[in-house]
Amino acid sequence: MSKVKNPYLPEMATVQEIIQETHNIKTFRVTLNNEERMKAFSFKPGQVGQLSVFGVGESTFVINSSPTRMDYLQFSVMQAGEVTTRLHTLQPGDQIGVRAPLGNWFPYEDMKGKDVVIVGGGIGMAPLRTLLLYMLDNRDDYGKITVIYGARSPQDLTYSYEFEEWRSAPNMNLVLTVDAEAPGWEHKVGLIPNILLEENPSAENTVAITCGPPIMIKFTLQALKKLGFEDENIYTTLEKRMKCGVGLCGRCNIGTSYVCIDGPVYSFAQLRKLPNEL
Amino acid sequence: MLDKLKESIKAALPELDFVMGWGMGYDPLHATPLYMYEPEDVDNLVWGPLNVHNLAVHLPSLKGKKVGIVVKGCDSRSVVELLQEGLINREDVVIFGAPCNGIVDMSKIRKAVPDAHFVHSVETDDNGLTITTDKDTHKLSLAEVMADKCTRCRFPNAVVADHFVGEKREPTVENDAYEDLESFESQGFEERRDFWMTEMDRCIRCYACRNACPLCVCRDHCVAQSRNPHWVSQRDGVRDKFMFQIIHAMHMAGRCTECGECERACPMDIPVLLLKRKLGTVIHDLFDYDSGLDAEARPPLLAFKLEEESIKEKDW
Amino acid sequence: MAKYLKNDDLGQWLSELGADYKVYAPVQEGDSIAFRPFSKGKALRIDRHATVGPKEILFPACEELLRFSYQKDEENPGRENIQVQVEENATPTLIFGSRPCDARGFDVFDGAFTQCSVKDSYYIARREQAAVVSIACTRTENTCFCNWVGGAPDGTNGSDVLLTPIQEGFVAESITEKGEALLAGSNLLAEATPEQEKEAKALRAAAHESLPEAPDFECMPEQLYGLFDNMDFWEKQSAKCISCGACTYLCPTCHCFNITDERQGNEGERLRTWDNCMSRQFTQEASGHNPRSEKAYRLKNRVGHKFCYFPELHKGHIACVGCGRCIKSCPVSLDIRQVVTSAKECRLPAEDNDNE
Repeated sequence: MSKVKNPYLPEMATVQEIIQETHNIKTFRVTLNNEERMKAFSFKPGQVGQLSVFGVGESTFVINSSPTRMDYLQFSVMQAGEVTTRLHTLQPGDQIGVRAPLGNWFPYEDMKGKDVVIVGGGIGMAPLRTLLLYMLDNRDDYGKITVIYGARSPQDLTYSYEFEEWRSAPNMNLVLTVDAEAPGWEHKVGLIPNILLEENPSAENTVAITCGPPIMIKFTLQALKKLGFEDENIYTTLEKRMKCGVGLCGRCNIGTSYVCIDGPVYSFAQLRKLPNEL
Repeated sequence: MLDKLKESIKAALPELDFVMGWGMGYDPLHATPLYMYEPEDVDNLVWGPLNVHNLAVHLPSLKGKKVGIVVKGCDSRSVVELLQEGLINREDVVIFGAPCNGIVDMSKIRKAVPDAHFVHSVETDDNGLTITTDKDTHKLSLAEVMADKCTRCRFPNAVVADHFVGEKREPTVENDAYEDLESFESQGFEERRDFWMTEMDRCIRCYACRNACPLCVCRDHCVAQSRNPHWVSQRDGVRDKFMFQIIHAMHMAGRCTECGECERACPMDIPVLLLKRKLGTVIHDLFDYDSGLDAEARPPLLAFKLEEESIKEKDW
Repeated sequence: MAKYLKNDDLGQWLSELGADYKVYAPVQEGDSIAFRPFSKGKALRIDRHATVGPKEILFPACEELLRFSYQKDEENPGRENIQVQVEENATPTLIFGSRPCDARGFDVFDGAFTQCSVKDSYYIARREQAAVVSIACTRTENTCFCNWVGGAPDGTNGSDVLLTPIQEGFVAESITEKGEALLAGSNLLAEATPEQEKEAKALRAAAHESLPEAPDFECMPEQLYGLFDNMDFWEKQSAKCISCGACTYLCPTCHCFNITDERQGNEGERLRTWDNCMSRQFTQEASGHNPRSEKAYRLKNRVGHKFCYFPELHKGHIACVGCGRCIKSCPVSLDIRQVVTSAKECRLPAEDNDNE
């Protein structure tokens, strides 16, 4: 009999806590049922996991907790398809399946000693949060951190209960923005790429990481180029339709690169070398 | 006739994105859809019993383009049906018709010429085909290898055409007697059930039957893959495969023109047209309706009449 | 050390092999030929290619990845516990009557499922227990082009035994140790005479001769990358395609799949089923975005995968075995040879788009 590990078999896990982030995004904190495996579980910021609702299916989400805080694994889920709709009906204590960690990660080792600019839009903040928390927990390893996070309205910002923690970290600049004025909103108003230009972070010894809707990424990339960032120093994490999560089912390839194993994190220098099929 | 057809296409081509017809395919026994973009492409057009494909299947996906299509009589009925259901605009399609003498059924050819995969040359004339393989030569009359639908063809000439070339041909028969269906239905329930269980077991769920159907319009929301509603499971059982065929046939009732593309397209040679023939005869008996003849008509199952003439629901 | 098996003894040999293996062989079913469990008395159809090859024996059209069941928690009735089970059911299996192209398909599967960073335990379990007895082609069909893509009518890759049909029997050669054991295990196989071997050799040489000259596909990756953004080319090549799955499902190398859950009541299965990259839904994302929304993009990816991406990832091996099934079973007779040769002959624009 073959001794190869079954790559499709999820670990059983329990939903411990659910946070309603926005009208259509919920955050799930889960722990693996097998305590030893939970203790031994390790991942790197940017890696993803497949959540299973047995009878409905699996879907891919980034692990948006930090490897430095291993009380639980956290996933934020925007309601869109069949699996996410079903996930949204779960209650604390419910059982799900988890296949994780999958995929590659942000170059958090190479980023040490550098300044970091994080640009997130909407649910795109999820993968950036894991990196941000990791850097905050290893604060001395990184230089200045600028976070520009925007959404359509204040109600569409995720993790708002953490903003104070982020903001109070040393050498950290958190800039929040929404598309239009809103009652009680005391932060910026304007599109993310414009706010980025306004903040004008230096590209010198700096890595930029962006995630959000495709149109935002497109203009953020232009803004970053204007600020003097090179493609090698701009990273994003791709959302693609993934099914198997292990590079075999044939959906998520861009040319020879399989997003579920070679990604989801790519530098724009890498993406430029791939065929134009996002 | 072919030359006239070519001339007529060449004359219309400047106003069109392209014209669909048939050209020679990968071997002398197979034609393939030909897209004519430039006048020189038109020189590759062929006409004859190998033009098996119903090109109307492509029309609904060509929205925004103005295209020409060459049709056989049976194909033209699909065009009418598409017009009827508002799936294409009449002004976006230029129809080229010519009289059809009947087309071949490749399965019959493969039976008559077991070496059909080794064919070297094929000559066709009005009476039949001469097929030469690497081993020998077979003379086949068209009647021997003709598609069943052609043996009962009532419309050998396009029922709608902007340009019709050639002499209109008299139909083979006046009425479809549904003899094939009668003989199938003369069997007992068990025999019929076993027949379908055996035939459908071979299905590989490639959905060539669905995609070759000019009137299968659910496209990307097909019940075969839909999770909501979840009527067909992905389990590998003959029941699920048959379930899809039944749903497909039901959706086609009163719309299907029995062009036979579902069956022709099936790589596993499953006789799925028979199901549609069954519904075809039911529709015919109930509503005295023939699909694909009148672009202004409405398929009976897409309409509601308080009192149907042939459904005596109050008379019992 | 070739052996000889008489035609008349073939059924008996397969019955003998049936003691240790579940034997699959091509038989007539309706108007098609397919691989089915062999039983004595069933007439074999080994005179030509099967309509559908043996791929589903090692990569089933539908397989259960796991089963699950929900039970009420006895202590907390508001809660449900889930049991997940995986059944290992691979058994020794012998595929008889595959053609060298079919067997080479398993070579491609081996590359995809056993040599990438993550290994497919389900495929590996079946593959390890499988034996493949192929029949060399002594006559090539119009749609055959194995020699274009690195194969041959008597190619041995992926097979354990290769039989060459000669007058009244087969010359049998073992390719692997497993194959050697298969041939050694039966008294029905005699030592082949030099005449028999000579006859087999001549027939095989003639089959080689009968194939059209092979184009050089060395340049294909470069050509296909160069044509990637030429949508006019791909729209014309794919114009007649009806986006069905006949080509992919009959292809000995296509191995894309879907994973879906089926549940009834408190139980269900997670299934892996063949999927089809020519279908729009294949890459449809929940957000509504679809990177391959048009058939032109999909054909480009299919051809690209076979002739560019897979070779780049697997030491140059083209993920097409030239069996021709996608051509002859295509409802519109779309010819992949023609697509690939058109791509090969396309003149690429001079490189000037790097500075954009």
